[in-house]
Amino acid sequence: MSLKQVSIAGMGCVCACGNTAAETFEGALSGNALFELPADRITSTYTTKYPVFLVNPTTYQNKPADQTFSQFFFIRAAQEAFAQAGILPSQLTPSRVGVIVGSSVHSSFHCFQIYKQWRQNSLTSQDIAGLKNYLATPLAQWVSNYFGFTGPFQTIATACASGTDAIGLAKNWIETDLCDVVLCGGTDELTESPYDGFIRLLVSTPQRCRPFCKTRSGINIGEGAAALLLVNEQTAQKFQLPCQGYVLGYGNCCDGFHPTAPDPKGTGLQKALSFALQDAGKNANDIAFINAHGTASQANDSAEAIAFRAVLPQVPVWGSKSVTGHTLGAAGAIEAVLTLQALNKRILPATVGFSTPDEQLQLVPTQKQTTISKRFAVSDSLAFGGCNAAIVLGACDAA
Amino acid sequence: MPLLSWGLVMLPKLFINGFACLTGDAAPEDFAPFVEVRKLRRAEQISKNVLLCAFRALEQAQLKDTSHAKLGISLAMGAGALESTLKFMQSIVEDGDELSSPTAFASSVHNSTALFLSMFLGIHGPCVVTGQLDASFGAALLTAQQFLAKDMCEQVLVAVTEDVNPLLVEVLQKDPHVFDPFVYQPHLPATRLAGAWVVSKKPTAATQFVLDSIELSTTVDVRTQTQPLLPVHSCAHSVLLLANHLEQKKDFSLREQFAGTILKIAGKPYVCA
Repeated sequence: MSLKQVSIAGMGCVCACGNTAAETFEGALSGNALFELPADRITSTYTTKYPVFLVNPTTYQNKPADQTFSQFFFIRAAQEAFAQAGILPSQLTPSRVGVIVGSSVHSSFHCFQIYKQWRQNSLTSQDIAGLKNYLATPLAQWVSNYFGFTGPFQTIATACASGTDAIGLAKNWIETDLCDVVLCGGTDELTESPYDGFIRLLVSTPQRCRPFCKTRSGINIGEGAAALLLVNEQTAQKFQLPCQGYVLGYGNCCDGFHPTAPDPKGTGLQKALSFALQDAGKNANDIAFINAHGTASQANDSAEAIAFRAVLPQVPVWGSKSVTGHTLGAAGAIEAVLTLQALNKRILPATVGFSTPDEQLQLVPTQKQTTISKRFAVSDSLAFGGCNAAIVLGACDAA
Repeated sequence: MPLLSWGLVMLPKLFINGFACLTGDAAPEDFAPFVEVRKLRRAEQISKNVLLCAFRALEQAQLKDTSHAKLGISLAMGAGALESTLKFMQSIVEDGDELSSPTAFASSVHNSTALFLSMFLGIHGPCVVTGQLDASFGAALLTAQQFLAKDMCEQVLVAVTEDVNPLLVEVLQKDPHVFDPFVYQPHLPATRLAGAWVVSKKPTAATQFVLDSIELSTTVDVRTQTQPLLPVHSCAHSVLLLANHLEQKKDFSLREQFAGTILKIAGKPYVCA
């Protein structure tokens, strides 16, 4: 398979450690991120406070009132991707542009304020307008309409694997000639539902998360979005688009094990990783590093460690959720953007927060910033319900 | 050669090797041929409904007792697990944040239904869930085609399940025009719907139908051209229509218009050459 088949012309990102893709990578290197107690829009009454990774409020001070935070974050990331590509959405053939967006919160009926009003028999006209907006705007379709595209659209709701699935399926859409261009990625905003839900599942920690560390105590949720503009060779040549990298392989496999925990042997993840490598025509020796899902929950990190040892032994592992938080449906896309920049800059960051190796994991993630020479990397995601996804990415000079 | 299309893009046709549809809820005794019903006690009703359909579809596809290692799942859910989502929000309202229900939260995630399918059917292949209201079904078919085109599996269980949104139903009953221009169709039952198909890109010994043409076209201005069918505005409505056509075992075509999407499917019974 030619490396040039599915290239990335532009990418954008907004999350707790940056308002652009470049800022986000700088944040990953420095460890600086907005990690605070919940913002005003989360009104949880928990006595124990669980800090979260927040998008800087100055970023959304001009958010249109009729957009959700998830929509606003994604549009902002997508506009950055188009700007980096140096192309306007209007220059593309609308019917040949697809949109795939992964989201966990936005895919669900998390109209909490409206629900409360309804229970109190006090729905307002504003609430009705909110419901109407909900009915009219499945996320990917809304994004497609926003940019005037008329190609296929899909909102992926595979929970925390949604962002990775969106990129993998986008690659397939181009490879099978369904589209010339696919705008893909993930987005999620913080609301009371996931905030309370993860705490009640006893997987959140009031401390900053420490992926793969012996002292890890749980996850921190976060918010943000990342968008990638995937193009086929003809489009890249026609518009002389820059190349930020390649999407080379995609694998996906479900565990069928437990509602919220991965298969402890990482069986599904092993299959997903293996299929992604096979799809890319690569093997473990080609891979510079893995950007792990690395939530810092006991079960996730353990299952990943086993799967990595089996499929990608000796390959360095980087966990980045200690600078972005676990951004749920956006996580896979944000991590893909980080992975591509690490490849392109030939810098593999340290796993912020990691301090003590866990003998049981037999995996020590990156402890300091290093240089890399290999031109390919893997990014993987695990999700509730045992859904596992993995993609193989190539650097801009990998062709 | 007949082809499937989305707009101007053509993809290979799909073969249907088994299908089942359910209006309303699966009863415990329905599961007797397939699984001990007590094992389903943690499953939400929408998961049980689609699981029953899947059992029946796989049986028709002659996959009941064989390894499912080369099967994938493409699950469409309009608005996800609404009952659990509302239950979780209710637990926050009634019991407070610190006593909100973790079980309801876990069940509210779309993937919880995918889990029950993979766990009880023994499917350990690719699995993607689509959640975009009425436009979910077409995208789920497309995902199945993509799995097959990329040889990620040999057959795909395309599953659809839809819950009732009591909030929307109550609002509509009070004022049928409240969501204009969305069309309220009071004759449609406010009930759960589910369906399942086993599809492949090549015919098998169990193939019953061939979908010669699937076309999904989009409209740009969603606000002026949308017509979701309320209260059953969901992706499951087209599932019901398609299943009705298949039951008749003759050539068929259907056309459904949703929020910014038109779904057209044409097919016929499969006759082995």
